[in-house]
Amino acid sequence: MNRSVLTAICMTLAVSGAQAAEEWGIEHEKKARVDAKVVDLLCEVTGECADNCGNGTRQFGLLFDDGRLVPVVKNFDIFAGAHEDLKAMCGKRITADGLMISNPKMPLFALQFKREAPDGKWSRANWFIKEWSKANPGKPGKAWYKHDKRVLELIAKDGVYGIPGLKAAE
Amino acid sequence: MRVKSIMAAVLIAGSAWVSAAQAATAPKRVQVTGEIIDTWCYVTEIMYALGTAHHKCAIWCAAGGIPVSIKGDDDTVYMVLKVEGDDVTVANPKMLTIQTHQVSVDGDLYVRDGVNYLIVNAVADDKGVVNMTHEDYGIQPFGE
Repeated sequence: MNRSVLTAICMTLAVSGAQAAEEWGIEHEKKARVDAKVVDLLCEVTGECADNCGNGTRQFGLLFDDGRLVPVVKNFDIFAGAHEDLKAMCGKRITADGLMISNPKMPLFALQFKREAPDGKWSRANWFIKEWSKANPGKPGKAWYKHDKRVLELIAKDGVYGIPGLKAAE
Repeated sequence: MRVKSIMAAVLIAGSAWVSAAQAATAPKRVQVTGEIIDTWCYVTEIMYALGTAHHKCAIWCAAGGIPVSIKGDDDTVYMVLKVEGDDVTVANPKMLTIQTHQVSVDGDLYVRDGVNYLIVNAVADDKGVVNMTHEDYGIQPFGE
């Protein structure tokens, strides 16, 4: 495990107050502030579309003016995607600030800030935890993954390794 | 006569354009065998992201809405956009329950701009979690 990279990301998520993308030390990453249209990936790729991009139930991508499509895989919250940040921007042109990761396995975008183009108000791409906290009052949003009902039920059923009965070493 | 020639040329050019467009968007029927993975951790390599060592983290990430992919046995990554008729790919309950499993799926593959997008029509085989990596890598990423 690349602990230094993970530590850098965690520290950035915890304390950063900057209003521009920060490097996370990921191979092939490049800070990027880009204008593009927010699209529903399933709709854009297959033509199978839904109202308002499925209202946050489908994965999002950035469609650039030259026709290039890049999936948005991550937001600024720990262990979370960008669906809550982008669902209100379906079909809109935005300025996305984050990391373009041009990995040979596949390119992807990690969203850190966003605004409607050309001059909307910037907001940090951390709306997953905001929405999760609204749905889970009284639970600590920053450690949402330790308190999420779906996660807890699956781990209780299958164990931390995904194999029932196989226990973690003491 | 000249008008007819021009019209014919336009029609031929038009049909060629339509064919090219259809070829670009037409899916390829495929069968993929591999491991269900978290796209972010695996592609970025921020931690070891396969098998039992990463199972818990993969559940966290899938529940958090990060796209789920299949790492084929040939190491190709396929991002899943639909599974067995269900177009929900943000925290899809089915995908949560088969995270880290070794599966064979029948699907339609769309390749665009370096990304393999997969429509999973059927999970033909599910062997469960078989990639035993925790003895070498512990529990990712926090060791507990």
